Amino acid sequence: MNFIINSPLEQFTTRVYFGLSSGLINLDTITLTSFSIYSIAVVALILGFSILNDNNTNILPTRWSLAFESLYFTVEKMVSEQIGGLEGRLLFPFMFSLFMYILIANVVSLVPYSYAINAQLIWTIGLSVAIWIGCTLTGLANHGAKFFGLFLPSGTNLPLVPVLVIIELLSYIARALSLGLRLGSNILAGHLLLVILAGLILNFISISIFTFALGILPLSILLGIVALESAIAFIQAIVFTILTCSYIKDAIHLH
Amino acid sequence: MQLVLAGKYIGAGLASIGLVGAGIGIAIVFAALINGVSRNPALKGQLFTYSILGFALSEATGLFALMIAFLLLYAV
Repeated sequence: MNFIINSPLEQFTTRVYFGLSSGLINLDTITLTSFSIYSIAVVALILGFSILNDNNTNILPTRWSLAFESLYFTVEKMVSEQIGGLEGRLLFPFMFSLFMYILIANVVSLVPYSYAINAQLIWTIGLSVAIWIGCTLTGLANHGAKFFGLFLPSGTNLPLVPVLVIIELLSYIARALSLGLRLGSNILAGHLLLVILAGLILNFISISIFTFALGILPLSILLGIVALESAIAFIQAIVFTILTCSYIKDAIHLH
Repeated sequence: MQLVLAGKYIGAGLASIGLVGAGIGIAIVFAALINGVSRNPALKGQLFTYSILGFALSEATGLFALMIAFLLLYAV
């Protein structure tokens, strides 16, 4: 493996670590890549975090169980405010899994020399298109042909109706793309910025001993950007989950 | 070939102008937050939650333009 990094985009390359090959059939999907290793690490972290901190025998909470409960209540408040009632309780495990996966994957990718799962646009846009198809099918199954009433806000004048329906339809279709593209492009742009700045600072520091001492200033700016990136990691998980809840609410309750 | 490369760089630079909208939009969201909290300081928590949601949505639109720039640079 090559340990010298040539371009800032190389941090997003997916390397194959273990693969099977056969002359008869195409076994490209049974490979262990960096994406799958980091996915397994994220799930292991979530499971470990949950199992080690459940604290179900004590009355007083520990700090870890308080942190885990605050994550739980973040998602529960989102779900109960957006989709209330029975469907909200039934969909809560899905929302919680989605939120925890995106949050822990984003936070794991902030470790230096790590790999960002959510920067792979195939993954994020694929997930959001799957969620969008699920919402559309749910709406069509629950309401039949009345589902298309979603595209006509009540109380519009009659001449405006064709234009408004076309615009609402386009906006609805764009939801599929924008939900995943928002998450993917935020993480991609953030990590790209960090690696580019770090490369420039390395060039600056390696000139002389004077610039090495002076390099504390650009490094503190980089620290500020890392803090911004960790806030973005948390915010993007919340925004993805809250928008998914909002789209499901549109499908179930039709405004 | 060099013309295609020059076109790529110019296109990527032009597409990044779309981030101006993101900057202004985020500033508008937080200006509304400051106005709202100054009128009714008791709603600080709820308004802050809405402002973070608005910030993420507004930044997403700017990053769509940045994605077009990356598309032009690295995916032809």
